[in-house]
Amino acid sequence: MRFFDSEDALQTSLDAFLAEHKAHLGLVSLEVPLISNLPVWSNIALIRQYHENMPWEKARALVVGLLKRFDMAGIAEKRNPSLKMEELFCVMLIRAAMVRDAVVVLDRPFRILPDLRERRFFTDAFRKVDDLIAEAHIFDYSWEKERYGATDDTED
Amino acid sequence: MNSSGTSETICDMIKAIGNIGKAAMHTTSSLCGTLAFAARVFLNLFDRRTYNSASRMVFIHQFYFTSVQILPLFLFVAVIFGSLINGMAFHVVKNLGLTDYLGRLLMGFVVTELSPFVTVLLIALRSSSAINAEIAVMKVNRELNTLESFRIDLIHYLFIPRILNGMLSMVLLTSLFALVVLSIGLLVSSLVFGTSVDAYIDTLLQSADVLDIVVLLIKCATFGFFITLIPIRLGLNASQELTSIPVAVLNGMVKVFLAIVTIEVLSSIVRFI
Repeated sequence: MRFFDSEDALQTSLDAFLAEHKAHLGLVSLEVPLISNLPVWSNIALIRQYHENMPWEKARALVVGLLKRFDMAGIAEKRNPSLKMEELFCVMLIRAAMVRDAVVVLDRPFRILPDLRERRFFTDAFRKVDDLIAEAHIFDYSWEKERYGATDDTED
Repeated sequence: MNSSGTSETICDMIKAIGNIGKAAMHTTSSLCGTLAFAARVFLNLFDRRTYNSASRMVFIHQFYFTSVQILPLFLFVAVIFGSLINGMAFHVVKNLGLTDYLGRLLMGFVVTELSPFVTVLLIALRSSSAINAEIAVMKVNRELNTLESFRIDLIHYLFIPRILNGMLSMVLLTSLFALVVLSIGLLVSSLVFGTSVDAYIDTLLQSADVLDIVVLLIKCATFGFFITLIPIRLGLNASQELTSIPVAVLNGMVKVFLAIVTIEVLSSIVRFI
């Protein structure tokens, strides 16, 4: 976890980090929304279909399997506007995990889930896809530390 | 008084010339930008990475939206136009005693000129405007950032499937239009002149010119290329504001119309000069 006192400082550090890990980057952020004219499964499957030329039937089966881990197989055919915020976060996380050896970055996740009081939802979600993720990083503001249950010297 | 009036007139003239120059510079740079973009896209058509599972899915969806969903409307328009054109053509040919030129009229005008023109208008009105709005909305919603963030090339994934679909749909729908019109021609011909199917087909084949067919196919593919490429390029010009979407669509559709006219003129020059 990395905390910053201002938006500028966070953005500068995030941009540098993204540039450094571009090849394996899986970003979860409001700045990289789902493609609105694609269903959920296609948004996620797209990564493997494009980079690995995975046939769509195989990619779809893989995505539905991952959605089942979150008990969300029913949203596979839904589109972005009809998703609840929790569902949106999980879909974005699975999409990020689709990148090979993914370096997953959560960019201010409480902006996606503003009503959440603490980080347990994120850690639970991470556990469900930890076999697909090489590294995970959270970038947020220092005034959100309490919601993460972090101390002042947390930088890990 | 006179000299100040003269100097004002000169100033106005200089301003007017300046404005014409600015407009010319803007048009030239826009045209160069479009041609450079077209060249980039064209080169990527031969890149193997373009043809992956994701791009193929986009192509299939686009083909369905452009060539299949439009079929009822398209066939209706083809039958209406076919009946009108054949009715007028046969009436004129019969009255003027020019029955020997019937084949040339059908092949030289209906097949090679009218069919691609009506088809390109229908596809431009329906699909080009949709593509223009779609790309502009994706830009405004930052969905293009999403693709770039996951290292998905916009040209490979978004643009080429749409452009290939435009080219293929133009060729196939133009052929279908010509087929419908010529079938109606057969019906009218047998009613007016009592022509048999064999004689009608023979007349058409004798009037068919290979060069005309080649020019027709190239013209259809070129139409398809530009009526999808221009909306994509103009859609990309949208800013992050919602109000930029109608402006992008408006500019795109005007330029699509200009492109259609330009290609039509160039193909006529190739055919007739």
